[in-house]
Amino acid sequence: MNRSDHVTPTTGGEARELRLLEQAWRHPRGIFGWLSYTTHQAIGLRYIVTAFIFLLVGGIEALLMRIQLAVPNNTFLSPDRYNEIFTTHGTTMMFLFAVPVMEGMGIYLVPLMLGTRNVAFPRLNAFGYWMYLCGCIFLYWGVFTNAAPDAGWFAYPPLAGPQFDPGKRVDFWAQMITFTEVSAMCVAAELIATIFKMRAPGMTLNRIPLFCWSMLVQSFMVIFAMPSIMIASSFLLSDRTLGTHYVNPAEGGDPLLYQHVFWFFGHPEVYIIFIPALGFVSHIISAHSRRAVFGYPAMVLSVVATGFIGFGLWVHHMFATGLPQIGEAYFTASSMMIAIASGAQIFCWIATLWTGRLRMTTALHFVFGFIAIFVFGGLSGLVLASVPLDLQVHDTYFVVAHFHYVLIGGALFPLFGAFYHWFPKMTGRLLNEALGKLNFWVLFIGFNLTFFPMHILGLKGMTRRIYTYPPEMGWGAANHLATIGAAIIALGGLLFIANVLLSRRRGQIAGDDPWDADTLEWAASSPPANYNFEYLPVASSRSPLWDPPEERAIVTGLRNDRREALVTTLMDAEPHHRYVLPGPTIWPLITAIAVTVGFAGSVFNGWYIFWGAGLTGIGLIGWFWPRRPLELKP
Amino acid sequence: MTAAKTLDVAQLPPYDVSSQSPLWWGQVCLAIIEGTMFSILLACYFYVRLRMDVWPPPGDQFPHLLIPTLGLIPLLLSVPPAYYASQAAKKNDRGGMIRNLALNLLFGLIYFVLRVVEWHSLNFNWKADIQGSLVWAFLGLHTFDYVGDLGFTLVLLVLVLTGRYGEKQRLGVHVDTVVWYFLVAVWIPIYIVIYWGPRLVETPR
Repeated sequence: MNRSDHVTPTTGGEARELRLLEQAWRHPRGIFGWLSYTTHQAIGLRYIVTAFIFLLVGGIEALLMRIQLAVPNNTFLSPDRYNEIFTTHGTTMMFLFAVPVMEGMGIYLVPLMLGTRNVAFPRLNAFGYWMYLCGCIFLYWGVFTNAAPDAGWFAYPPLAGPQFDPGKRVDFWAQMITFTEVSAMCVAAELIATIFKMRAPGMTLNRIPLFCWSMLVQSFMVIFAMPSIMIASSFLLSDRTLGTHYVNPAEGGDPLLYQHVFWFFGHPEVYIIFIPALGFVSHIISAHSRRAVFGYPAMVLSVVATGFIGFGLWVHHMFATGLPQIGEAYFTASSMMIAIASGAQIFCWIATLWTGRLRMTTALHFVFGFIAIFVFGGLSGLVLASVPLDLQVHDTYFVVAHFHYVLIGGALFPLFGAFYHWFPKMTGRLLNEALGKLNFWVLFIGFNLTFFPMHILGLKGMTRRIYTYPPEMGWGAANHLATIGAAIIALGGLLFIANVLLSRRRGQIAGDDPWDADTLEWAASSPPANYNFEYLPVASSRSPLWDPPEERAIVTGLRNDRREALVTTLMDAEPHHRYVLPGPTIWPLITAIAVTVGFAGSVFNGWYIFWGAGLTGIGLIGWFWPRRPLELKP
Repeated sequence: MTAAKTLDVAQLPPYDVSSQSPLWWGQVCLAIIEGTMFSILLACYFYVRLRMDVWPPPGDQFPHLLIPTLGLIPLLLSVPPAYYASQAAKKNDRGGMIRNLALNLLFGLIYFVLRVVEWHSLNFNWKADIQGSLVWAFLGLHTFDYVGDLGFTLVLLVLVLTGRYGEKQRLGVHVDTVVWYFLVAVWIPIYIVIYWGPRLVETPR
């Protein structure tokens, strides 16, 4: 490796090299070609768009519930339909929207921020997306054939067991889990490998952008937490279809075991959704207050600590199950401890905002909305973390209010902020700011109007998951208010869609770096070329784009006639070797369909697992079939 | 980005068959995922064991010790060939890869036959009781992974034998060993728990 000081090669040669690069990374044509894409921008956008469609679907389900609850003794939905809708709403939002949309943002942004050309395993990336899509179709196949799950998004046995929920409803739920978890684990593995080994030269551990740290921690949480839910849902499914006894107390099984295994995943799941949002917030704050985030080491350590502590909290979902008090005390303490890690970050952000030169953009509005709502949700979380208070409000609307405050406030507001921030990178055009601010205020007001009254409803004793209530309970006014709020949220959602559709065609042209931000994704063109960077950048500091031009450097010497990227060392990001990435291929889709045959069929007949495994074997052989040239030219 | 300096990487190799490859980390992640699954199953085993007065549950005979214990011999013997196959892959030594992959596969298959024989001799199935369900889960999940990796090793052996291989396939040989080590290593605690566990923590009948 030579470090030299002369600038880029001659112009004629450069144009030829650029043509080669364009050719190597060109998307194949036609529908068949479209199904073969393996670039991270395309796959990331597919995740994001699909997840947003399911946000809409889940939102419509929420509106149906709010209409039903708007007035006492309502008969808009039957009790059975209501059960299906609240279960499908929770399942859709958690598994088909929240996690995938964060994965999609990670897939899109991480390679750009790291200054590389694709994720480490592009075909696995495509496979993960197809698995996710098949999972979505699978669940809604159940919904539209009157087999929508109806036992709550966590499907506790015995209610969800074979005795009390015969038919296929819960089976669809349990197997949908497997699809989405396979997808999430694919993304986690590829993001870990990408962040560890494909960073720009010079991007040592203490220069990794905070969003990439977030995705790294989130990915590790995925690979430690998701196996747990696969075990839990497989327990349930095999008890229901194969006659095993994992949750059957008559033969030594235990329904509580299911709850433990479920929540050992279920609590980290909240952080799997929330930690990427922390990354968004750091970048938005830094760009729009025009200074680096205060306390980078504290921020990184807090995110890592949140990842660890997140695994020690699960029992606080089970305080009402009669566990030993010493256990409850431990989980109360650990639940409070996580507030330290979150609190440290909030203070770092406030310090950044305080000392920065603020630009009051829509993205920053959403961050302020996030801080307000999330802190409030955190406070009701402290209430729920203490056992005596939790026992009072367990399974009431207080809990519903709390988790919508932390999930919508903690993840959805930063996500909207992230859209306003990165939309110009994804499309080349800015979203409309005036419409954006209106969008923010409508959502903020609608959100609080919907969910704040639920705290009071919970304290008044309204339990979750009841489909109606008599007028004497005195819950009518607050419920009515919540329904009005839900309509306002829907309006906010429509404003967002309108803004996206309008700005995509007629928005202001953004340029590469509309916010004068500091991280490497803003060095790529908007929208980025398939290869992201003509010359891979060198990370000269933590904020490379704010360095004076004479300190910046680029990587030369990668071959442009094939999809090549650079592998660097784990700690110091020293260049180690060049790495040829695979091109477009249809095999991930074929393999995903083969796996789907096994998973979907096994709900009806266990033998399908073996059929599916055989077909998957064929898919994998096609996937890994050695293609020429076998030996790479240097 | 306008830049004044360049960092030339043309001299670096275009591929690297070693643990520096991103694929190695991918396989490590896969092993962590599978390992977490087995750990949770082990935790579940002890959880239900603690809640039962009699273990193994009445009607279940003790799983046999002889064959699973003998089986450890070929299982452990399959590890050195896996290691030497990966070393041969790094050095692009075709003969070494063929020899060691074949040995790896041979020991793997011997163990697989013993596994099937032993599994067949259990007097309970997954429907019997919670021990049955869990033991079958361990055996089922591990065998599924094991057969998958045997198949993968076989495909690699065929590719090397037919000469249809390059750096990517050699890297495949190298990272395949990560999964193999994992499958052998994770079996040891499972073996102790499901075969020795009921004896060591036996309750008077």
